[in-house]
Amino acid sequence: MRVLFFIFATAFWIIDSSQAATNDSFSRGMALSRAGEFPEAAAAFEKSAQAQPASGTLVNLGLAEWQRGHAGAAIRVWEQARWIDPFDERAAQNLKFARAVAQVDEPQLKWFETASTWLPPNDWVWIAGASLWLAVGALVLPPVFRRKKSDWQQALAAIGLGIFLASLTANFGVVSRTNLGFVLKRSSALMLTPTRNSEVISTLNAGESARKLRSRGNYYFIHTASESGWIERSAFGLVSE
Amino acid sequence: MRFFQTILFLLALVPNFLRAQAPLQISPNVAAQIVMVPQPRADTSQLENISATAEFDPPTVHPGEKTFYRVAVRATQNSIAWPDEIAAPPELHFSTATRGQLMQADGVRFQPLTEFIYEVTGTAMGHFTISNFVVSVGGHSVEIPAASIDVKTDTVTQPPRKLSLEVSATNLFFGQPFRVRVILPTTAGNQVEALRDVQFNGSGFLTDKSATHQSVEVVNRDGQLQSAAIYETVATPLAAGTLTLSAQAFTTSVMSVPISIHAQITISSTPVKNVLLLSDPLKINVHPLPMEGELPGFTGALGKFSYDPPQLSTNRLRVGEPAHLKIIFHNEGELTRFVAPASPRSHDWQIIADKPPATGFTLIPLTDETHATPAIPFSYFDPQSEKYIDLTIPALPVTVVGEGLPVQLPVFDEENKSAAPLILSSLAPTPGKTAASLKPLQLHGWFVVVQLLPVMGLIALWRWDYRRRFLAAHPEIIRRRLAKHELRRKKIKLQKAFAAGDAAAFVQHAADAMRIVVAPNYPANPQALVCADVLAQLEDAEQNGRAGETVRKVFAATDARFALTPQTQANLLALADDVENVLLKLEEKL
Repeated sequence: MRVLFFIFATAFWIIDSSQAATNDSFSRGMALSRAGEFPEAAAAFEKSAQAQPASGTLVNLGLAEWQRGHAGAAIRVWEQARWIDPFDERAAQNLKFARAVAQVDEPQLKWFETASTWLPPNDWVWIAGASLWLAVGALVLPPVFRRKKSDWQQALAAIGLGIFLASLTANFGVVSRTNLGFVLKRSSALMLTPTRNSEVISTLNAGESARKLRSRGNYYFIHTASESGWIERSAFGLVSE
Repeated sequence: MRFFQTILFLLALVPNFLRAQAPLQISPNVAAQIVMVPQPRADTSQLENISATAEFDPPTVHPGEKTFYRVAVRATQNSIAWPDEIAAPPELHFSTATRGQLMQADGVRFQPLTEFIYEVTGTAMGHFTISNFVVSVGGHSVEIPAASIDVKTDTVTQPPRKLSLEVSATNLFFGQPFRVRVILPTTAGNQVEALRDVQFNGSGFLTDKSATHQSVEVVNRDGQLQSAAIYETVATPLAAGTLTLSAQAFTTSVMSVPISIHAQITISSTPVKNVLLLSDPLKINVHPLPMEGELPGFTGALGKFSYDPPQLSTNRLRVGEPAHLKIIFHNEGELTRFVAPASPRSHDWQIIADKPPATGFTLIPLTDETHATPAIPFSYFDPQSEKYIDLTIPALPVTVVGEGLPVQLPVFDEENKSAAPLILSSLAPTPGKTAASLKPLQLHGWFVVVQLLPVMGLIALWRWDYRRRFLAAHPEIIRRRLAKHELRRKKIKLQKAFAAGDAAAFVQHAADAMRIVVAPNYPANPQALVCADVLAQLEDAEQNGRAGETVRKVFAATDARFALTPQTQANLLALADDVENVLLKLEEKL
């Protein structure tokens, strides 16, 4: 009993101290943003986001990055805010504004990726898991417990299976969207080969979206709306990283 | 590797070479004026009347001395089908032919003149003649006249006119530029002639026509000061090894070419005959560049370089705002084919090299996190010390500030009327919705393990149901299991009663234990069993033996409580060992 109490107390202390650190960084970032010290504010919000990714923190981080002139980084973190909370209006508003200023388009999503944006990524996977095991349970448990199969059990299994199948597409969309990323630096070079002295195919605007197709060493092979090539990892940020 | 080095060096020199070969760019106005001026045209209308001359220069030599056999044809070089060999007396030794062509202005036309020269050595005395022969010029036969030479000893001979070739160095490194001087001394009458259509013979050299100039100067020849026309240019060896370099040129009037005169000369009013002259070949040793010790930023620069302190146009700039880095290089030797350092790659800077021959850079910061311009690697090879020297352009401190992006954007509707402007949101007051990680659960390994838990639960449920059905079909297993469990409890009570010396309790527990242990064999409720039922589970021998006796005593003692009068109890606790043995025997059958 004492051991259990000790374990619970320790766990609570760890969780509590982690949240306190996050809140400290967030509050400091807020104060620095209001004071106009955007580089320091961005560092504080980034620390807070690393400890506990949160949509509001990322929105504020994006605002600080925007004020620093980092359009690409701002667009990326606002996309991350919408990744966590698709209903975050601040992030949506800022993305619309930033794309209008930076003259870049929204990423073109496939239909199942669009479906995956209706809920946070983790919600889809829990829905899929719960619906699957609900259907399986509705089918398997009555015979196990020697209960007669009833209509409502059959209906529950059918509904669960339907939700599971529907959520599979959204889950696939979530996985597919993890390869979506944004150019962080202005005039980033899109190169022919993943080498330092490679020929440059073209330069990309900050905030431009692209898909990571594969990686090698310090480079990602990405596909933009019109062309493909290699880009340095430091110049390209994935939405799920 | 040396081959690749050669290729790279040639590629590096291509821009300059192409620039040197490119025609002069003139404005449209100037071009129109030139078109209006009547220009001489090449005369190609009188192929039938092509004339040719042939002579020995000089026509009299001593045995073993050299002379030149000259043939001049008034036609273009390409139109002449010149024979590989000339029929000549065996006493005359001919070298390989050298040929040259120039276009002579003749009134309103250009007349082509092609000369063929053979170096001839008379090996025996006598009068020798090369008879006339015919060559084809543009499909027409042209007769080359006969020419005679006297090889004798009883005469004073004049040496043939030759060009003198001088180079600034004869031991060079691959790609190292050097100065070449072609010197034409004055004639016997102190008449100065200039050179035109100068050509250098010998493979492995690249001459720079943009660095060419001609002058008349006083030179020291064999201890005598003498005026001479000097054609000077810069050549670069493009092959390693011992190379041979010679020159050929036509003589011409000093009035017909751009020339600077730094000596007292006499310019004759008589026209100068265009004569093709040759120089003796010169051997030049070219060493390959060492592979060891090559430093980053080597662009093929050879010499002794330095640069003025780099000047940055500003040291405070915004992201995306260009700044110019001015660098001026110096060399103790030639700087004509200098290739400026290449733009390095930088994460934080876009670097654009100035268009040659400028050697500066335009630097554009890509981030405000940089605090210095990028170092630009450059190195050169010093032929004197035979080492690569690092001359990297150092980083300069700068302050880069952010791009200054707008926070509000005006919006116009379809009728071009101003609508509500797009603006950035305010700060989020709270962290908002959180997530453990941006990486979705689908990609976490542990999540797959979590999905196995329901599977394991279902399997466990299935096994439980299977076992339950099995036990339902075999109830004796449960009865025996329960009997064993109950027996263990009774034994404990039995031991406690024995330890407490409570004989009544002892025999009661012993009887209960015996009933419990035999009950599954019938099966029956243990409370419904009597002494005979217990005895029936013993072997026949045991029933009549000590075990049977013990059972009977125990049950008799327990039944005594139902007697109307109290029964005298023997020392029942003494039966403890026997009871233990009986229980063991019965338990074996359980």
